[in-house]
Amino acid sequence: MDHPAIPQTPSTPLVSFDADQKTLRIVGESFPENSFSFYAPVIAWMKDYLQQHDALLLDLSITYMNSSSTKCMLDLMDLMEEAFGKGVKSAIIWRYDQENPRSCELAEEFSEEVTFPFQIMAFN
Amino acid sequence: MDLYGLHEQFESSGMMMCFNGPFSHSIIEEIGTALRNHLAAENIAKAAVLDVFAVYIELAQNVRNYLALRDLGQEEVAASIITIARWGNGYAVSSGNMILAEDALPLSERIHELHGLTPEELKSRYKEQMRRDTPQDALGAGLGLLEIARRSSAPMTCTVRELNNRYSFFSLTAFI
Repeated sequence: MDHPAIPQTPSTPLVSFDADQKTLRIVGESFPENSFSFYAPVIAWMKDYLQQHDALLLDLSITYMNSSSTKCMLDLMDLMEEAFGKGVKSAIIWRYDQENPRSCELAEEFSEEVTFPFQIMAFN
Repeated sequence: MDLYGLHEQFESSGMMMCFNGPFSHSIIEEIGTALRNHLAAENIAKAAVLDVFAVYIELAQNVRNYLALRDLGQEEVAASIITIARWGNGYAVSSGNMILAEDALPLSERIHELHGLTPEELKSRYKEQMRRDTPQDALGAGLGLLEIARRSSAPMTCTVRELNNRYSFFSLTAFI
């Protein structure tokens, strides 16, 4: 399956994969017209990837996410949690703007849903 | 057309932005950008700008998803309204759209049900709903109203105006 390579738009984030770093990056804002159809290929790719690889870092820098995107994000994290249970090195870095405490609160809520390493980092 | 009456009504109600017409995704995006620029110029905290924006997005996408679900996306029933007004030191974001008459009661009940829930209760409801399976053809995750309630500083209000046997007009306001 091809790695995801989705360019950024005003309402959808950039999704890109760095195979050497085993890192999936999602950057930008997420309020697609239809979140489920936007994230479906990313979810399908991750499911496939985690079956064949031993590590995945999800590097997130999302300033705003609508409610249906949070559901899709949880689906991605659930896949990583399941893989973590099978020995895959799952990890998340969540980057947020210091002036945007909502993004930090959202990260904390997501981190309650997983048991693998979940790092929350502020940037200026 | 003399717009003075409309202008006066907007001025006296603290109206900042108003859109009336069919919502497309690109219109939702454009108004959202304009709204953020407008609020940024008011010198309020970034978190507050994002709360108003988030409530606006949830309301607008709720309307659009509802109209699509009920196949009301065409002609005169598609025209919906979204407004952002000053409300004390905060903001009131409202949406208004046609609904099927039989949806009025369940919708109003869903709004009223959220009144009186504590932030912790809203959070656990949100998490429960996030964990619930979404039907295959669903457009939303059923989280929008909870998301709005979590960002609100007062309970949402709604009104229903019965138009005929088939349609009612549903207005929903959230306060941030």
